[in-house]
Amino acid sequence: MTAQSLRGQLLRQLLPPVAALLALATVIAYFPTIEPATAAYDQALIDVGLALGDRIQIESGKYSLDLPRAAERMLRTDRYDSIYFHVASPDGGHIAGDEGLPPPPRDETPQDHVIAYDGMYAGKDVRAVAVMVPCNGRRCMVQVAETTYKRQRLLRYIVLSSLVPTVLIALATLLIVWFGVKRGLEPLDLLSEEIRRRSPRDLRPVEAASAPEEAKPLVGALNALLEEVAEANQNQQRFLANAAHQLRTPLAGLQAHTELALAQSVPESCRAELEQVHLATVRTARLANQLLALARAEPGGGLAAGLGPVDLRQMVQGAADEWVHRAMARDLDLGFDLSEARVLGDPFLLREALANLVHNSLEHTPAGGHVTVRTELRTEDGRPMLEVEDEGPGIPPAERERVLERFYRVPGTTGTGSGLGLAIVREIAGLHGAVVEIGEPRAGGRGCRVALIFPSAPQR
Amino acid sequence: MRIMIVEDDAALSRGVARILESEGYAVDVVARGEQAILAAEQERFDLVILDVGLPGMDGFEVLRRLRAQAQRVPVLLLTARDAVDDRVHGLDLGADDYVAKPFAMPELAARVRALIRRSQAQAGPKVEHGPLLLDTVARRAFLNGEPLELAGREWAVLEVLLAKVERVVSKEVIIQAVANWGEELSLNAIEVYVSRLRAKLEPAGIRIRTVRGFGYMLEEHKAG
Repeated sequence: MTAQSLRGQLLRQLLPPVAALLALATVIAYFPTIEPATAAYDQALIDVGLALGDRIQIESGKYSLDLPRAAERMLRTDRYDSIYFHVASPDGGHIAGDEGLPPPPRDETPQDHVIAYDGMYAGKDVRAVAVMVPCNGRRCMVQVAETTYKRQRLLRYIVLSSLVPTVLIALATLLIVWFGVKRGLEPLDLLSEEIRRRSPRDLRPVEAASAPEEAKPLVGALNALLEEVAEANQNQQRFLANAAHQLRTPLAGLQAHTELALAQSVPESCRAELEQVHLATVRTARLANQLLALARAEPGGGLAAGLGPVDLRQMVQGAADEWVHRAMARDLDLGFDLSEARVLGDPFLLREALANLVHNSLEHTPAGGHVTVRTELRTEDGRPMLEVEDEGPGIPPAERERVLERFYRVPGTTGTGSGLGLAIVREIAGLHGAVVEIGEPRAGGRGCRVALIFPSAPQR
Repeated sequence: MRIMIVEDDAALSRGVARILESEGYAVDVVARGEQAILAAEQERFDLVILDVGLPGMDGFEVLRRLRAQAQRVPVLLLTARDAVDDRVHGLDLGADDYVAKPFAMPELAARVRALIRRSQAQAGPKVEHGPLLLDTVARRAFLNGEPLELAGREWAVLEVLLAKVERVVSKEVIIQAVANWGEELSLNAIEVYVSRLRAKLEPAGIRIRTVRGFGYMLEEHKAG
């Protein structure tokens, strides 16, 4: 089945019957009206014919018509049409009037000595009557004809007067359908607007109260689906939590033992191997963390709770301890420049994004360098911003788009990264409606600055 | 110093135990929550390292029961879950600190030392930090056994930093701890007190790190 507009479908179904009804109504109105009306006009012609018949005089076998000029003028006077007549003797001889009027059709039998018929005269359509009047014991034929202007006018008038109301009714019907459908579907429009505005993580049931009765099954089905998706999400969440636990605990054990082994006096040949094992463990642990974060950042992997107010400054302050030690171990100056910046967000994911940015900066900045974490409302547009700036090699402009892709690593880099960090940052930023901006340090010089710019500050 | 590790992953608990033992702690390992509760009833521990994701009775429940028994023993939670809620929940239930798996051993060891030091400080009037000794009742300080002169504000700042060795303490937190009611104390004033403290303590090898734009951190004292 192809998708069709409800409105179009209704109109398409309504239009033919409405048009047929319209035609029928016109025909029904036409015949009962046209018959008496034309009959009245015919009767007027017959009356003229009878009056003329009375005027036929017969003197010693010769026929003549006693019609004074004034009377003939009166007879021929009509507001709209030209009137013609012809009087003929029983033998068909010309007595008076206009010669050459069309003769009555031969197959027509007179009723009350009258035949009414249509014909042509002087190049015009005419309506004519032939009246057989008594005349010296036989019957003379009096023909009276008139052009059809009057009749056409009447016809037009009748058709028009029956057509206009039916057309208006039809138009009204179509308009009612058009706007009725629009109005009837308005609650559905509101519904779809509500669904459109939702974050992909918001799986609460849709409010069914405002939906029209007919749409309730749809809302019900939608809610059932949402519920199933939410449940599937919860299952996925549980799975992720379990997977995290299952992965991290043995990794923690592995890490503990390699550290323990390294703390002991081991032969130099083994030490290098052990160090490799330890490094791989740390990287695997980090990769596991990142994959879990990535899975959770994707729509559908979402936290059912949705986004809540988060102060970026507080978030950074709460997480600072984690990195300060790592920075010190690498002889880096990790500093902060924090002002209040509130966003709507998921605290876990924002922390993960920040952790990835800081990790990258600590990884790439040479010893003695500075790394700065900054939160603020941007002066130019008041948008909340979180950025990390370092003094590493930076990212060349041509690579800035690509580094946000999963598993992409800038050619020639030597770090131990997986190429997932910035992809996670982008994923998390996208979820918050934020954009990732990669540039140079504010003060200029060598280095890299990655900023998350959030939508304008939410109302408190 | 006696530590109980409650962790069901044998490899991990054995590794942690050996590292802590090498630092001179006595370590008991149990794998289940029920055993931990029993052990805590019978023995006195200076610290409990508690895994959240235990089979059966989980770490939160163990913590809740320990606190219900009025056990004031410091508890360090280990968790593999990453929800922030987990941490908040744990701290609400009365955990003293929180480490996410997997962790680096030096970090865990530092947290353990800090927690034990903190609980000792609460238990007794004397706080030790390398060559530094603070008698909080007599309000007297000693460095390498010699009396050390500390002004009132310097004393207050040092106390805040000593309570959180190896942790970053924000300037705001220091101001709150140092300023009297209704008094406005500037960030610059804190810098002055810290630099005076440094002048007095650094010759003895005690270092206060500046975390730019944030605060200070009293480094752990390394012997030698």
